[in-house]
Amino acid sequence: MKIFKITLLAIIFLLTSCEEVIWDKGIETSNPKDNLDYLWKECNEKYSYFELKNIDWDAIKAEYSAKVYDGMTEDSLFTVLGEMLTELKDDHTNLISNFNISRFGTHHLGQDNFDWRIIVDNYLPRDFYISGPFSHSFIANNEIGYVRFPSFTGEIDKKNIDFILEKYKNTKGLIIDLRENGGGQVTDIFKLLSRFVEHETLLYYSRIKNGPSHNDFSEASPAYVEPYDGIRYKNKVAVLIDRGTYSAGSFTALATKALSNVVLIGDTTGGGLGLPNGGQLPNGWTYRFSITQALTLDKSPEYENGVPPDIRVAFDWNNLKTDEIIERALLELQ
Amino acid sequence: MKKNIVIVMLLVSFGAISQSKASKKELKKNRPTYIDIAIGKEYSRFVDFATSPLIYSGAQNYISISYNKYDKKKEKEYGFSYSFGDYISDFNEHESISTVKTLSLYYSQLYQLNKFSTKKLNIKIGGLFDATGNFRINESLENNGVGLEIIPTLFGSIKASKYFISRHGKDKELSFRLNIGLINSTFRNGYVYSGQSFLLNKPILESVFDDYQFKVFSGFRMSSALSYTMPLKNKNKIQFSYLWGAYKTGGNFDTFEMANHSIKFTLSFNLNNH
Repeated sequence: MKIFKITLLAIIFLLTSCEEVIWDKGIETSNPKDNLDYLWKECNEKYSYFELKNIDWDAIKAEYSAKVYDGMTEDSLFTVLGEMLTELKDDHTNLISNFNISRFGTHHLGQDNFDWRIIVDNYLPRDFYISGPFSHSFIANNEIGYVRFPSFTGEIDKKNIDFILEKYKNTKGLIIDLRENGGGQVTDIFKLLSRFVEHETLLYYSRIKNGPSHNDFSEASPAYVEPYDGIRYKNKVAVLIDRGTYSAGSFTALATKALSNVVLIGDTTGGGLGLPNGGQLPNGWTYRFSITQALTLDKSPEYENGVPPDIRVAFDWNNLKTDEIIERALLELQ
Repeated sequence: MKKNIVIVMLLVSFGAISQSKASKKELKKNRPTYIDIAIGKEYSRFVDFATSPLIYSGAQNYISISYNKYDKKKEKEYGFSYSFGDYISDFNEHESISTVKTLSLYYSQLYQLNKFSTKKLNIKIGGLFDATGNFRINESLENNGVGLEIIPTLFGSIKASKYFISRHGKDKELSFRLNIGLINSTFRNGYVYSGQSFLLNKPILESVFDDYQFKVFSGFRMSSALSYTMPLKNKNKIQFSYLWGAYKTGGNFDTFEMANHSIKFTLSFNLNNH
């Protein structure tokens, strides 16, 4: 047994040595410059909207490299790296630590256009329905259905949407309120829109980064939606949007441009048409940024800066009894 | 690349032709056959440079089941192993956990090298095909939180066995097997790791391997097994093993690297009473 033990130890030692030779070393470090360089390089090679947003990423590196130094606090380093990411003007771009999360805040680009309390107090009955992620009721003398959809939680299912469309099937029109909808599960988009198309419809294109240059992308791939084999709504639909409509909300707004029975009302969306990735820095913080581009039907990425409404309307905060965007939608649907 | 294939074929055929055809049928008929059931503990670590430069490590549970037909002249084995557990990266007061499930399917054949084998020492050479798949979940990596890669490898193998006579007159066996990847390949994520299929309303199955790429003759892999086998009176066997394996993917994209150290206990159930 002695020989066995010696042999075992010798082999473990030998193989562990082999392992060190085969492996690249991990690069765990709290060094500020190493972390800035790592984050800058990841973005430089994989972020998808440098050209559209006309961002000089080299100049940004020079600017922010000058702000880091050995011995700076974690909080200070976070501020520098977070501000560097904010230069991408993209709310799909965040730096995440256990003490802070950096963000851009696209909703600050325009005025606030939504107050749920005003809608509840002035448009909805007290006992409005809540079906899954949707809050809804008849409004305007029961002629219009109003559906509030605040977040793409992945909870849209056959039952809740069947219930809603069955309930409002005889209305003149339907309002789907996506204001301040920050996004979520993309799969909800297609479950929702499949109820408003009568034939397979091309909604938009998407392409993904496939190389380190700023313009290295895959071919544009089409996104189609097929009509749901069941209850569908065939009258006119008004989708309400604002700067807080982001990510999956913006994708929905972009997609409705291809649907002739849908009109977009409100303010330009916040954008967020790039799929965010996820990764970790050498110091353990995590980050994310956009790695795809959604393209319009004429293959332009410009709606990353916001999907414009078909009818632009702003909220009047001097009148807290009226939602001007809903009022404009009622005008459009009646 | 072609050189690697030639080496594998030479290793297998060189061993194979060393047996005379006349005795082959008889040997095959009398070759002991076993079902091996093993459990063990594994200590592993990995780094996936596509999502993080940090090393994740942890202890996992290990099980394997295989069909094994072997004697001193030849051995054939096929089966699977499965390990599961959490890997942790804890640096700078930031802890991330990656839950990993690993499934390996393997097939191996070894032939005795007559020239170097004696009554007490047996040398075998041959090949091993092992396809290992990792399924990883790390929620801190946001949309890159799910990792799935398959590492199929054709190894060239050499095994040395030393026999000791027990009190019952049965051979105890101390063996060491070394496998070196000759045809290394990977099936792994593309350039930016995530795919865009679910943005395009594609079916879920199509999304799983979205933007994946299969690369052959890419990367490096090695493994080994040090085993001590003791026969029982009823012709079954028990075995204690130390397994080691390490690999890294190749290609132009960020690499994935993993290394495992396992202690394994195996019960071998004899199926044909030989």
